[in-house]
Amino acid sequence: MPTLTTYIKCLVVTAVIALAGGGLFLYSGFYPMGADVPHNQLTYWLLETLRERSVARAASDIVIPQDLNTSERLLAGGADYNDMCSGCHLKPGKTDSDFTLGLYPAPPNLTMSSDEHGHEHGVETDNNDAAIQRQFWIIKHGIKASGMPAWAPGHDDERIWNMVAFLQRLPELSPQQYQVLTARGADDAGHH
Amino acid sequence: MKGKHFSSLIALTTLAIAFSVQAHDPKEHMKDAEKPDCAAMKNMDHSKMDMSDPMMQAMMKQCMSEMNHDMSTSNVAPDETQSEQQKSEHQH
Repeated sequence: MPTLTTYIKCLVVTAVIALAGGGLFLYSGFYPMGADVPHNQLTYWLLETLRERSVARAASDIVIPQDLNTSERLLAGGADYNDMCSGCHLKPGKTDSDFTLGLYPAPPNLTMSSDEHGHEHGVETDNNDAAIQRQFWIIKHGIKASGMPAWAPGHDDERIWNMVAFLQRLPELSPQQYQVLTARGADDAGHH
Repeated sequence: MKGKHFSSLIALTTLAIAFSVQAHDPKEHMKDAEKPDCAAMKNMDHSKMDMSDPMMQAMMKQCMSEMNHDMSTSNVAPDETQSEQQKSEHQH
């Protein structure tokens, strides 16, 4: 009959073999790092779960401003979205860009609602406040190794909230409405 | 090997600088800024617009100056328009 010591020995040996195997695979260079080769399902699930749980935890304490849905925020946030985000996250009337075709994971198309673009945000997005907190946190802090930069170094919280405000209305905009709302040319001094 | 690391570092720094240039003052975008194309707004049925909707208010703000300009020019009497034209011809 195997004793407790034998069990522990077996566990230690298994752990050492797993670590050595993992290390060998890591240093072998066999894992494809090119953005044109998708992750396998396990890696994708691990990374996505890590990302979503981390963002949900970090964003849960963010306080949403009461005045998010105002014309001033829409105009300020719209112009910034057009300059900083539309290349990857698209604008009404566009279905792809060089960035959406080449980046992996592909950036979500924010002109569509989260249900439409098929990008899972986790259970938290059933609650609209959690989705808004999530958007603010991601714009502010970015996502590691995804192509999404942290905008906080050059943009204060108010400016980021303006972009979040614009994102709430973006899926319902036509190309003409988008053009009018995001143009800086009229009288931009009042928007910032 | 060191060279590879160094070039990665340079590439990352360049990328960071590129992004920080984009992390901008809005004024930096004014040189190639588009003007709002308010033609669609003019043709809309204003009675059907929900003016309490912040999105509609924002669009009206963007197009207000252009629409006011159009209204003021369309309200000018024909003889006034003629005299305006004469003035501008005279200036040229």
